[in-house]
Amino acid sequence: MVLGDSLTFGLGLPSDESYPAILQRKLDQAGYRYEVVNAGVSGETSAGGLRRLDWALGNDARILILALGGNDGLRGIPVESMKANLSAIIDGAKRRGAAVLLAGMEAPPNLGNAYTGEFRGAFREVAQQQAVPLLPFLLQGVAGVASLNQGDRIHPNREGARLVAEHVWRSLEPIVREDAARR
Amino acid sequence: MVFVAKMALRELRASWKRLLFFFACIAIGVASIVSLRSLTQNVRVAITGQAKALTAADIVISSNRPFSSDALAKIEQRLREYSVTERTNAVQTDTMVRPATGGRAVARMVEVRGVEPAFPFYGTVVLQSGGTYAHALLQNRGLLVRPELLAQLGLKVGDALILGGAPYTIRDVVLVEPGRRLGGFSFGPPVLMDRADLLKSGLLSTFGRGRYEIMLRVPERSVAPLLGRLRRDFRDFPVGARSYRTNEDNLSEDLMRAENYLSLIGLVIVVLGGIGVSSVIRVFVQQKLKAVAVLKCVGGTNPQILAIYLAQVIALGLAGSAVGVGLAGVVVAWAPAFVGNLPPGTVEIQYELTAAAVLQGLGIGVLVSLLFSLVPLLQVRHVKPSLLLRETSVARRRDWLEIAVIALVVSALAGLAIWQAASMRVGLAVTAGFIGVTIVLHLTGRLLVRTVRPLARSRWFPLRHAVLRVGRPGNQTRAILLAVGLGSFFMIGVRLLQTNLLDSFNVQVREDGPDMFLIDIQQDQVDGVVALFTSTTPSLPPPRPIPVLRARVAGVRGREVNMESYQEVRGRGSLGREYVITYRPTLEDNETLVEGDFWSATNDGQPQVSIEVGIHERFRIMVGDIMRFEVVGRTIEARVASIRRVNWRDPRRGGFMFVFRPGTFEQAPHAYIAPAKGPDDPSVRGRLQHDLVARYPNVSVIDVSEILETVRKVVRGVTLAISVVGAIVLFSGILILVGSVSMTKFQKVYEAAIFKTLGASTRSIAGMIVLEYGALGLLAGAVGSIGALALSWTVSRFALDIPWEPSPIVNLAGIAITGMLVCGIGVTSSLDVLRRKPLATLRAE
Repeated sequence: MVLGDSLTFGLGLPSDESYPAILQRKLDQAGYRYEVVNAGVSGETSAGGLRRLDWALGNDARILILALGGNDGLRGIPVESMKANLSAIIDGAKRRGAAVLLAGMEAPPNLGNAYTGEFRGAFREVAQQQAVPLLPFLLQGVAGVASLNQGDRIHPNREGARLVAEHVWRSLEPIVREDAARR
Repeated sequence: MVFVAKMALRELRASWKRLLFFFACIAIGVASIVSLRSLTQNVRVAITGQAKALTAADIVISSNRPFSSDALAKIEQRLREYSVTERTNAVQTDTMVRPATGGRAVARMVEVRGVEPAFPFYGTVVLQSGGTYAHALLQNRGLLVRPELLAQLGLKVGDALILGGAPYTIRDVVLVEPGRRLGGFSFGPPVLMDRADLLKSGLLSTFGRGRYEIMLRVPERSVAPLLGRLRRDFRDFPVGARSYRTNEDNLSEDLMRAENYLSLIGLVIVVLGGIGVSSVIRVFVQQKLKAVAVLKCVGGTNPQILAIYLAQVIALGLAGSAVGVGLAGVVVAWAPAFVGNLPPGTVEIQYELTAAAVLQGLGIGVLVSLLFSLVPLLQVRHVKPSLLLRETSVARRRDWLEIAVIALVVSALAGLAIWQAASMRVGLAVTAGFIGVTIVLHLTGRLLVRTVRPLARSRWFPLRHAVLRVGRPGNQTRAILLAVGLGSFFMIGVRLLQTNLLDSFNVQVREDGPDMFLIDIQQDQVDGVVALFTSTTPSLPPPRPIPVLRARVAGVRGREVNMESYQEVRGRGSLGREYVITYRPTLEDNETLVEGDFWSATNDGQPQVSIEVGIHERFRIMVGDIMRFEVVGRTIEARVASIRRVNWRDPRRGGFMFVFRPGTFEQAPHAYIAPAKGPDDPSVRGRLQHDLVARYPNVSVIDVSEILETVRKVVRGVTLAISVVGAIVLFSGILILVGSVSMTKFQKVYEAAIFKTLGASTRSIAGMIVLEYGALGLLAGAVGSIGALALSWTVSRFALDIPWEPSPIVNLAGIAITGMLVCGIGVTSSLDVLRRKPLATLRAE
């Protein structure tokens, strides 16, 4: 289960080229029997994610990849409120027995160092408090590279999505292995 | 030649009183055209100025990343080719600001724009202090901010603000800022600063998101070619170019519509005047038959005699036009009192007669006098000298010359129409309508004579004689039918158009329409948000939140919708894109049901969806089809229950391609959006927004009140102008109709006198007149009214591009009023005949 925003949804990409779709193929190739549910919604903020957690998770979600915060950053929503929302989402996932991988985001530098610094720190703090693994920056190596993004400079293109999937896979695989062993 | 001139003068001396009405028609027509043209041109100049002030430049080249050296080289080259020397750069980005003092860590997002000294090329930056804007205000770390930012942060002018980690001083408050794109999606109030400061701030480092602009001042004639060139150059690059003329907003579309409409009205008034002219000349020629016969006896040739009358027509046309121009001068001088001056910062209009309009008015005045009198005047060729000895009616033969002249007049009229309306379509529609209605009127005239013939044996005297008069050779049946029918055609047409046009404007200027949009309200916050509004502004209707979800269409009727290519997915036309969907039990005001039920009484539990007619047409999806939607990770199959049409011009309640029947998504997680009407008082408004965001940080408020206010002011002025102009058309049209109809009395006078001598009572003669004129008026009104319906539909649909709604009241009222009017004029203009002793009339003849 990937709970995210337009980056997860794969805005501007065919649905089988979003990074969750690529993760599905990776899981299949590695022989794991998991189904990836893309619960990415364009424009979604952490507040929206929290509200739709129940609907999205259902009863059989094993692993939650939490990839929200990008829109909070674009809109300059207070970091404290985002932190509270992310924490509550993780609480909810834990209650259902799902493992969580928190994917960090960066606020665009034009918002100023004070905000971006605080924003970046929020993910670290939440991961620490909740003791969940953190992928420091979902778009690591992709953000800001013209050849990996679409014309809007926000959303990754095919190649960009492939790199994001690689990147997420590196953090996801250990969690999957552990979960599969437990079953 | 001298003879012709002398004769024309002599005749004129004797006949000018009779031609006074001709004179009036031309004067009214020309006055309307000249004043409308002048006002339109005045408004256009003002609007152009306004449009330039909105963009602050003639052309703006923009990109969402710094211009590459290649792009810059290309731009430099184009600027040299078009010898553009004046340019300035600007850059814009979103950032967070916070007060330098005070421990509160309130940060606000703003949309900051960095400009250079040459900014702005057009328009003025209006400051709250009343001072003049100079770039010096921004230098040495100065900022100009919006009043709402001060309210939100609790700051005042002179305080310091931290932006990009460094302190800046707030130097003044901006009320109007040229060049800021209105209506754009932004999360914070605008801030103006020095471009160099912004670039140095580090905010726009490699990953920083900004909008880079090159603003140009370009000679008028180069604007369009340079813009086209740049757009071709950068077709495949993330670089865009727009000019002040790029019609992006509804406002300029509305103004364009208003302008087209006003030109059309000018045309209609001229044609109405022309109808008046042609009826005057027709009667005039009848009365001049003897004089013509005398001229022929003393050796006058046809060309000479025609020239004598044409010279009179031209002289009168010119004089009438001159008076018209004078009248227009008065109208234009009074215009500000009618339209009112719009507040500063919106549109400032300089009211004056323009030379172009005056010349055009004079030209059209003379041309219309000539065109509409040519055909009736040709009749003098058939006058024989023997007419002096025996009363014979002049034979009405159509010969090749007359047909050629008619063809010439019609094509000249079409040309005139196209020129006046400044649009081929409108011109052709009006001309086609004119010809069509003329032909129909001719045919109805004939049909009328034939159908009422049996009534000639009626025992009731007035009816018998009314019928006989209608069918008698040389009568005025056709003349009245034509003048009244065409007149009502144009007047009712204008009225219908006006109704439709104003309707389309009103949607946008409704005072109670939403002026702020709240987005991303969560389910558990809806009640709180609404309560906040109702407690702050108890007198206003509370916002009605609309549930929204995002969905993707996964398949239709078993067809899988899987987009192969990137472009297809990006395109708005693709079915595979993400759609915002909603659910509700009833249709909104801006929706009409095309097919199916919204919703049917029976609910079998299967999800149901209503689709917009655009989706139905583009993808051939029918009522009864099963569509599969992916909604937040779940797949839902829904049956298409109905097809709706959304009026996209009416944005009050939004427009949705897919609306679901309640019952499917209540349990699904979704956010709400809420169009709302906020308080008018800016400080209350600022506080409301502040409270809202403080309590519900994820809710974003997009305030469009200022844009709306500007639009409203302009549209209000335009609306008033259109109504005033509509009234002028009605008034002058009625005047002209009154004149045309009462012209026909000259013939009736003699007949009435004879009837009286033979013992007819005044009452029966009056009854006869009422019957005759009433029937003609109703008939002409009906034909004109039907024609008007067609005209208004054609023009709304193809020229003004506005939705068309029939308004039967206007049509019916039009017919009734025309009938009564013609009847009334017939009787009143015959009053003196009825009262006078018959002998006086008989002797005078």
